[in-house]
Amino acid sequence: MKKVNKDVLKDAANRLYFDMTDDQYETLLEEFDTIQSEFELMGQIVGVDEATPMTFPFDVSIDYLRDDVPEEPLKAEDVLKNAGNVKDGQIKLPKVVG
Amino acid sequence: MNYLDLTLSEIHEALVNKQVTPLELTKEAIKRAKENKDNAFEMIIEEDAIKRAEELSKHEVPKDNYFYGIPYVAKNNLSTKGYETNASSNILNGYVPLFDATVIDALNKAGAILIGKSTLDELAMGGTGTSGHLGTTYNPYDPKHLHLIGGSSCGSAVAVADSIVPFALGSDTGDSVRKPASHSGLVGLKPTWGLISRFGLFPFAPSLDHVGFFTRSVKDSAIALNLLAFHDDNDSTSSFKPKVDYLKNLSSDVKGKKLAVITEIFNSIEDEAIKSSFLKLIEKLKNDGAIVEYINFDNKLLNAIYPTYMVISCAESTSNNANLDGIKFGPYLGGKTYQEVMYNARTNGFSPLIKRRFVLGSYSLMRENQQELFLRAQKARRLIVNKCNEIFKKFDAIILPASPTPAPLEKGSNEKVRNDYLAADNWLAIGNFGGFPSITLPMGFEDELPFGVNITCEPFNEVGMFNIASNVEKNTGFAGLSYQNHLEKEVK
Repeated sequence: MKKVNKDVLKDAANRLYFDMTDDQYETLLEEFDTIQSEFELMGQIVGVDEATPMTFPFDVSIDYLRDDVPEEPLKAEDVLKNAGNVKDGQIKLPKVVG
Repeated sequence: MNYLDLTLSEIHEALVNKQVTPLELTKEAIKRAKENKDNAFEMIIEEDAIKRAEELSKHEVPKDNYFYGIPYVAKNNLSTKGYETNASSNILNGYVPLFDATVIDALNKAGAILIGKSTLDELAMGGTGTSGHLGTTYNPYDPKHLHLIGGSSCGSAVAVADSIVPFALGSDTGDSVRKPASHSGLVGLKPTWGLISRFGLFPFAPSLDHVGFFTRSVKDSAIALNLLAFHDDNDSTSSFKPKVDYLKNLSSDVKGKKLAVITEIFNSIEDEAIKSSFLKLIEKLKNDGAIVEYINFDNKLLNAIYPTYMVISCAESTSNNANLDGIKFGPYLGGKTYQEVMYNARTNGFSPLIKRRFVLGSYSLMRENQQELFLRAQKARRLIVNKCNEIFKKFDAIILPASPTPAPLEKGSNEKVRNDYLAADNWLAIGNFGGFPSITLPMGFEDELPFGVNITCEPFNEVGMFNIASNVEKNTGFAGLSYQNHLEKEVK
């Protein structure tokens, strides 16, 4: 397991596109002392590593297709109401290509 | 006495008998919502609710529709068309959905009247009711505001406990309906995973997320599930099971029912009032014919519940909240590149607690950690659920105190990771791991603060769960409990 330090935590935050203050990293580092001892509790379960990972509470098989019913799509002006930066009927972002 | 101090089914009877109108109820509910000082509301919906109540008041109240003309409140992570839905997070300030969540739609169609959107722990990712962007939500049972009500469905719990409405929607990913229900003397239900559609609920950790709700009686809980449990094509995990009439099947007969008490959890509880209240209840259940056994679960599995929950929920939350970028919705804070736009929105929009949770999830998903954290948590979840399923082969239900303590004090309480009461404070999450139906209801009082008992059953055994809950309610005498009703009783 990756050793925890501020750089690792900063990397973990930046992968999710945000940052924290130095104080917040310090708080999290302190928390990690407890967190890691709790992580270890999972490893103490007999036979844990041989178990099959559980991704949902029980099997849900989706073996149907919805009927192909025509629907009115959302109106562009409605969708754009929630966007903070709109120009000419489109969401505006900084240029991607020079 | 006001009609809002009654249960949903009693209010329905009064509506049918024309003792009160939807308009009178709605006006009183809005008045109470405004007077409440516990920080329960993100928004009170006054004008539209009154208009709707006026319209509904013109018609005869259908005898078979319990929700007609009933004011209700929804947690603010359930999409409501035309009303801001921000999950108590600054990153969603100003976001107005263009559609209703399936449960909101079902309540609308039944004639229920939405009077407010309630506060929650930010993005439903907390358990104290302290982390929403409007600050702490308090427990109506403590007007001095020293005690919390718990979260994340804190505002919805206040709304029902303080008799503002007889019914409120919440969501439950670890215990977010059932724990605040315990702290506020309410019936809090999280049904089987897939039984109630989650379409329109902001996802936190979809393998654990459930829509749940608060009522003031078990009967009301059965009535609400009758309305809200149906297949929904808009939710790919929605169950196809045929509809069951939970009200018709409601019985308090527990003769021959086998109940399991998990010894390790019960023995770890130090609160004498909760322990003695629970033991008295068990005796009453036995007197009514239930067979109660104390069983061992395995401490190693129990102690792993909390870390397993943290790793899975935090990891799932990282991808489910990736769409919160300040571009399509939420405050746009600018930037030189689109990455910087997202970075600014997320850095400023999420609170420190949520960021710490996300970092924990991100750390668990790092290539070097996946095997020992994320995958191991999923494996631990399997073994914990297997153990529960073994229990359900022999027993009808697990019964235990819902929480090892009454409502916690705000002072000294925080959302930092801690490991006291590792199992007793977190065991309700097994209901989310296995998708088990699970209900909390009031069991007793300590220093004027309520505490609850929980009943958890195998998937789709809601009838059995309501059956045992109904007996418990009969034995505790807490049907219809609210803060106001409790005060009046105390005065008498």
